Amino acid sequence: MTTVTHSTTTPARKYHIRTALFMSGYVAVNLAAILDAFDDMKSPATWVFSLVVAAPVVGQIWALLAWMRDSDEFVRGLAAKRFIAAAGLAMAIASAWGFMELYADAPHISAAMIYPLFWAAFGIVSPFIHTTR
Amino acid sequence: MKNRLKMLRAERNWTQDDLGKRVGVSRQAINALETEKHDPSLDLAYRLSIEFGLPVERIFENPHGRSSET
Repeated sequence: MTTVTHSTTTPARKYHIRTALFMSGYVAVNLAAILDAFDDMKSPATWVFSLVVAAPVVGQIWALLAWMRDSDEFVRGLAAKRFIAAAGLAMAIASAWGFMELYADAPHISAAMIYPLFWAAFGIVSPFIHTTR
Repeated sequence: MKNRLKMLRAERNWTQDDLGKRVGVSRQAINALETEKHDPSLDLAYRLSIEFGLPVERIFENPHGRSSET
């Protein structure tokens, strides 16, 4: 069904605003951690803190899916194809690296890197996907 | 999907943005239809049909053969 947006704020603008807000929080909390602001924290607070750090990532994924939901069928279809291709590429790379860690002593990389890896993959696949067919 | 959108739009002096607003999609969506980068949903095809006052198959070529409308 074609979506007709009645809001004066376009879906793309909402997405940019939401992404900026979520990523600001993400950068701020990670920057504070790098600057040793949470070094004295003990379990179980560390578990809670870890989920707090992950929350903006969940929020940003929600912002992306909300943008797709509120966009018209072409934008939604194109974004969905790119999203699927990028997720597939990111999973393939993460799986390959995981096996290299297991069997070839490759250096360990945190699973948290899957999110930046996904966006890097999104950037790589997007120029090659420009139709919804 | 081959179509006559660009010609029909030009006959009415509508920009892609004008047509997009009339049928509730973005200018990019109209451009993608005209350049055959997007096949419309049935819903959008009917919206365009109403906007141009033409049956769907006078706007979009049936990719599966001839129809009684053409």
